[in-house]
Amino acid sequence: MSVDVEISSIFGSYTDGVLNMKVEGKTVRECLHDLVRQFPDLKKMLLNKDGDLMHSYDFFINGKSVYPKDMNTPLKNGDKLNVLFVIHGG
Amino acid sequence: MLTAEELQRYDRQIMIYGFGEAGQEKLKKAKVFLAGAGGLGSPVAIYLTTAGIGTLRIADHDKVELSNLNRQVLHWKENIGKRKVDSAAAKLGKFNPGVKIEPIFETITEANVSQLVGDADLIVDAMDNLPTRYILNRTAIKKGIPFFHGAVYGFEGRAMTVLPGKTACLNCLYHSASVPEEKFPVIGVTPAVIGCIQATEVIKYIVGLGELLTDRLLNFDGLRMKFSEFKISRDPACEHCGTPSKQVKKK
Repeated sequence: MSVDVEISSIFGSYTDGVLNMKVEGKTVRECLHDLVRQFPDLKKMLLNKDGDLMHSYDFFINGKSVYPKDMNTPLKNGDKLNVLFVIHGG
Repeated sequence: MLTAEELQRYDRQIMIYGFGEAGQEKLKKAKVFLAGAGGLGSPVAIYLTTAGIGTLRIADHDKVELSNLNRQVLHWKENIGKRKVDSAAAKLGKFNPGVKIEPIFETITEANVSQLVGDADLIVDAMDNLPTRYILNRTAIKKGIPFFHGAVYGFEGRAMTVLPGKTACLNCLYHSASVPEEKFPVIGVTPAVIGCIQATEVIKYIVGLGELLTDRLLNFDGLRMKFSEFKISRDPACEHCGTPSKQVKKK
């Protein structure tokens, strides 16, 4: 079960500049956990102590918003998961 | 009715198919509430002013600092220590003396936001924090007027247009997400890009041209020089717009 992940350029310094990667998992949670396994420096940026995506991030599946924002949302082979930092500057 | 000078000043945009003198007159009658006179607020204000918006009400509680000058192009070194809204009003008056500029030196709060926005036709979000954005989003929904969102961070920026009662709102997108209130990195070109997108959306909405950036989040990544779009659906359980709201005003 391979899922394509794309992260914001903001995270490039935690992934040696890699912004598109492939992860394994059947849910958003499993995929994000595989992502931080591959890029351990991302873990403290993305996940809280419960292993959930921090509240300052958002994710989209195949370019679409997901309601409710559930870490157990299923993913299928070939899906694309985008992780965005909630930016606030003006 | 446009004057002879206005017909000449706006000649090139009146030439745009579908714009015409009627579009220019719509701009002249419009009143915009601009929340923020900083990095995003500068290009939004400049391009709405040069386009001939009727009234631009600008709210900001900050004074100009040296560290603002890499991006807040309405403010210059000579303005350091001055109120941003006064600094902005002085420049905008020179860009186009035909536009009525209403500077408001106030902090936008739950208590005063409705009065500050007043009878404006729409709200432009050029803020530097999420809590005030949520206040403005709610206000736009309550008043049934459009909300033009923009935000920046480093080389990355985002924009989305909200038509209350019709399209996804800011809270449908972020679900009251919060980020630490801290100094954020940014280079001037990023708010320049996003502010111009917001101003484009405002002009299109008022004139009634094209397709708006509704139900879509536009993400600009300047490092990869890439624009991405994410489809945003209305969240039926949204705390801001999930209940029936006023229908958006027709221009």
